Amino acid sequence: MNYRKRSALAVLAAASLALVGACAPGNQGAPAGAPTAGSSAPAQEPYKPAVITMGTAEDSKGPAVEPEGVVKGGTVTMIDRDDFAHLDPAQSYVNTATNFGLLIHRGLTGYKRVAKGEFKLVGDLATDAGTVSDGGKTWTFTLKDGVKWQDGSAITSADVRWTIERTFADYITFGPSYIQQWLTQDDYKKAYSGPYDGKQLDGIETPDDKTIVFKFKAPHADANYAFAMGGYAIVPKAKDTKEKYDKEPFSSGPYIIKSHVVDKSMELARNPHWDAATDPIRGAYPDVWKLEFGQEPLQITDRFVADVGPDQQAFTFYAAVPPERLQQVLNDASLADRRMVSPSPYGNYYYFNLDRVKDQKLRQAVNYAWPSKQIQQTLGGPQAAALPTTILNENTTVGYKPYDLFGKTTKPEGDIEKAKQLVAESDNPSPTIVYAYNQTPVQEQVTVVIKNALEKAGIKVVAKPLDRKTYYDSISQTKNEFDLYWGGWGADWPSGSTVMPIIFGPVSDGGQNMSHLNTPELTAKMKEISENPDIDAANTAWMELDKEIQEKYTPLVVAENRIATTLHGSKVGGAEIDPQMWIVSPNTIFVKP
Amino acid sequence: MTTPTSTEDAIDATSVTETSGAVGRSPGQLMWLRFKRDRTGVISAIIVIFFFLVALLAPVISMVYGKDPYTLYGQDIPGLLNDYGYPIQPNGGISSEYWFGLEPSLGRDVFTQLVYGIRTSLGIAVAATLITTTLGIVVGIVAGYAGGRTDYFVGRLIDLTLSFPQTIFIIAFTPVVESLLVPSDEETPVWLRAVTLTIMLSAFGWAGLARLLRGYVLSMREREYVEAARVTGASPARIVFKELLPNLWTPILIQSTLLLPAMVTAEAGLSFLGVGMGELVPDWGRMFLRATQVYQNDITYLIFPGVALLIFVVAFNLLGDSVRDAFDPKIKR
Repeated sequence: MNYRKRSALAVLAAASLALVGACAPGNQGAPAGAPTAGSSAPAQEPYKPAVITMGTAEDSKGPAVEPEGVVKGGTVTMIDRDDFAHLDPAQSYVNTATNFGLLIHRGLTGYKRVAKGEFKLVGDLATDAGTVSDGGKTWTFTLKDGVKWQDGSAITSADVRWTIERTFADYITFGPSYIQQWLTQDDYKKAYSGPYDGKQLDGIETPDDKTIVFKFKAPHADANYAFAMGGYAIVPKAKDTKEKYDKEPFSSGPYIIKSHVVDKSMELARNPHWDAATDPIRGAYPDVWKLEFGQEPLQITDRFVADVGPDQQAFTFYAAVPPERLQQVLNDASLADRRMVSPSPYGNYYYFNLDRVKDQKLRQAVNYAWPSKQIQQTLGGPQAAALPTTILNENTTVGYKPYDLFGKTTKPEGDIEKAKQLVAESDNPSPTIVYAYNQTPVQEQVTVVIKNALEKAGIKVVAKPLDRKTYYDSISQTKNEFDLYWGGWGADWPSGSTVMPIIFGPVSDGGQNMSHLNTPELTAKMKEISENPDIDAANTAWMELDKEIQEKYTPLVVAENRIATTLHGSKVGGAEIDPQMWIVSPNTIFVKP
Repeated sequence: MTTPTSTEDAIDATSVTETSGAVGRSPGQLMWLRFKRDRTGVISAIIVIFFFLVALLAPVISMVYGKDPYTLYGQDIPGLLNDYGYPIQPNGGISSEYWFGLEPSLGRDVFTQLVYGIRTSLGIAVAATLITTTLGIVVGIVAGYAGGRTDYFVGRLIDLTLSFPQTIFIIAFTPVVESLLVPSDEETPVWLRAVTLTIMLSAFGWAGLARLLRGYVLSMREREYVEAARVTGASPARIVFKELLPNLWTPILIQSTLLLPAMVTAEAGLSFLGVGMGELVPDWGRMFLRATQVYQNDITYLIFPGVALLIFVVAFNLLGDSVRDAFDPKIKR
């Protein structure tokens, strides 16, 4: 026997020993380790919804309110999983894109952080949050002095006009559509085809370089909230490169994109023509931003836990602690001051594609069989996700009233018997559901759980993984070939009317009505509630409509509501999860030396 | 472990070993005798056979044991996993019920996952090894025997294959294959994944063996017995199959026994990188991937697939060594 063999045998022996001698502790120490009824257990602290008030012209003056202990300068690193799908503001609707947009784009209005959880709607490029006249139909904004593009040229009212007009163009498909609809009609692209053929849009007036007037068809008292959306950040007429603008935007914000390797990295340098004195919203404290993409949340979390070297000056926009690390992160007292916890302000749904899943019995069966509790466990337990039963989010809905149509409070693990019965009553006793999901490690597992539960109820599940960067783009195609897919929707500004009329609104490619539920009856009802001047009555009505939609149409399965726990490096200050956007805001970030 | 060597080559055998008595033995018998004396080899062979039996008998084992690798026990039965999805019992939830514990989060049974995982990995590895070996033999002998221009071009093809960044290629190419072959309203079938993996592994594995055999054939082509055969008018097919191939079985057998464990690790590696089998098919490599994510809270889950793979690969490599030693005692020590 030669030497090499003997050492190999020794390795074998040692490995077997390790097997016998291994002793890992159990995991009883975790809170609520015993099986509990899977009710939506409360998060650590009762969630306080953000307070948003209207700011004055004085509030709209720069610079931004500084966070405690702010240090200016330095290089901050942002690590995240995905690159931004869009950089053109008009194509940005997803929170990751609009949140990043705060660094390079500016809009007419915006949210100024006054204190933790307290915000004011103020003028960003405009001197105040707008002046309304003509009973809410006419909105007038005046641009500030000294606001400039990255080449030093002044931002004018013509640029603002151009920004709105170009959102009518064919190639803009993913952004918000409120202003366009208000200026024209619901199917706004039919009314005007964009400014590129030289035609101007009626309804916008620019009496001089500083003033811009919007004339809506109907009163819209909350239009200044709409202008605060990242999707209405402005684009210069002179530098508009149409489709190409999505790759190389022209900056009006505090930073310029210095380099960008798609899906890998990005570097931002200061925009010399941005003046802090004109900007009440953005702190822009670091000199340089380095953004890294392509890391899984697991690795990102491990880097923050380890907290060594340059990672101390790093944070993440959106990579929350994954289920595997939640136990460790939440039980480690030393991480307490680097931990941010915030429940999602969004409604999360597994939408049925009503064009394909036409049988309501089947949709109800899926709802009954839905393994809410098992998904919750896969996501990391009640600390990571709550199990709501309503379409409207309890954290952001005024006048919230819970109801439970599918017995989820008593049987969060799913009622297979009831589901089987419904499947038997349906048109097709052996149905198949094509479930499309975002291909991430966690979603792969959730898919196994869903498949397992639905197949117990006799519903065959075909799972289709979708590319994570273009996930939303794929499922928001009207002619998609999927039956069921997850989608999130959050109020665009604090008003109930920005949820229901959107997710059950007009069906269009890239639109937000992913269940394709669109009946005249429902549309009329929503219009009626939207125009109700009595806020409290409207809130009650929305809650009633919530239940009615699930009873009458069952267009979706209410998904688990995630609770994000996010870490940041020890030398990063001012990191806060924006309660409205549910993402770490770049406005207050600074690095300590 | 016998070899298909025919008894016709008795002349060759005497040149290798002196027989003391009057007993005539074929090289196969001699090899078998030497192999039986090698204790490491025998133990390794037993371990390897054990693994193959486990793979073959996975459904039987699962039936006797009373669990399957697909049911989410930890989720269906309360009290096994805590709220974070980790096993409540110590040692990753090992109990008389779940011998190797439970998978975190999904709560599948680790023992049956491992047994079926061995089946998946070994199945793909054996198929890939067979294809690789066949390809290697054909290309190697053709190149070596034909020589000249054929040899030159085959040689460059081998160079190309050997220098190709195969892992990156497989990672990039697998999704393309799937999007081409799978209709958008259907799931990727398990067999397609398996076939893709097998083909990919084979496509890049044959070159080493082919180059080796080409060298052997090149040196044997000019030997007297080949010349003699040629003079007596033997066809090239006869020369290849009856004169050359019997002498090549030794390197072929050794190479393929060393190739198989390499294929097993390669398959596990690809699953680890996310282009192996899907979440629904038990797989060794994916167990590792999951284990590396949870090892800080559940080390036990890493140990079982880890130790199983370690034992298998080491045993198979030792077996390969022993087979080589038994065939060719001169290079021992």
